[in-house]
Amino acid sequence: MSKDKNNIIDKIYTPNSIDKLIHEPARLNIMTRLYVVESADFLFMMRQTGLTFGNLSAHMSKLEEAGYIDIIKEFIGKKPHTMLKLTKKGRKAFDEYRKKMKQFFNEL
Amino acid sequence: MIEKIDLKKVEKQTYRFTFTDGLYDMAYGSLLFFTAIAPILREILYPSYIIFMILPASLILVLGKRFITVPRIGIVKFNLNRTKSRNKIGLLIAILFPITVVMVVLTFLGLYNIKVGGYIVPLGGGIFALILLSLIAYIIDYPHFYLYAVSIGLGLPLAALLKPIFGEPLHYIISFGISGTLILIYGIFTLIKFIKKYPIPKEDISDVKG
Repeated sequence: MSKDKNNIIDKIYTPNSIDKLIHEPARLNIMTRLYVVESADFLFMMRQTGLTFGNLSAHMSKLEEAGYIDIIKEFIGKKPHTMLKLTKKGRKAFDEYRKKMKQFFNEL
Repeated sequence: MIEKIDLKKVEKQTYRFTFTDGLYDMAYGSLLFFTAIAPILREILYPSYIIFMILPASLILVLGKRFITVPRIGIVKFNLNRTKSRNKIGLLIAILFPITVVMVVLTFLGLYNIKVGGYIVPLGGGIFALILLSLIAYIIDYPHFYLYAVSIGLGLPLAALLKPIFGEPLHYIISFGISGTLILIYGIFTLIKFIKKYPIPKEDISDVKG
């Protein structure tokens, strides 16, 4: 394969180049909901996504491991409270995901 | 996954979700309701009747958010644009509140009646309230405020028109009581639906171990 052909192939987004961590429906839902706000707590995310406590917790752990979300501990009065926030890396990954998906479907 | 993700729509949905508790409707409904019965309260509780007009609405919002909404749907912080909108309302209220106070004081002193006649003040007040609440509705992006704007914007001149026909306090009850009671009842029903739909979770999930 020539160099030119390689360049062209690199520019075409294939399904393989799509971030599978975000592509999973529940995690895409979580990422979308967090993308549009500054931060939200666990209960708010449960209500917004319709996921159960266990499910949300598992997906959150995966996203946190990838560095896509930050878990912020704060106090409301004397009670500890957990807020969830998309990191810069998470926002960038989500932007990239949207761009790739858009381009992929445009090219179909 | 082919479905387009409209982020603006998602943000709007998320934002409006925080209003689904019906507390704003209840607060505003109670404000109108107590305005409607203000002439009766004034007779019995002068001058402390003013508290009844302000306190129930404030208590509904503050206590309702704290003890009903937050334990059921949690907390969300919106982006800078939404925060800016709220600051704009603060600024708007900071400018318009002293003007309103001056207008009310002048009305009580009877200065308007001497110079401009009886219908100008309620009409001016109605237009003023209509513009103010419509602006708030636009800034906070909550359409119910337009309904509030119309109810008070029409209520003030309507009360002035009905006073010679029905007399006091019936003119206030008709002008504000009906709309206030309807908005209050709507708010209560919305709150009941909200409580049923979003029960308080059994497990404590405010402090999730990350």
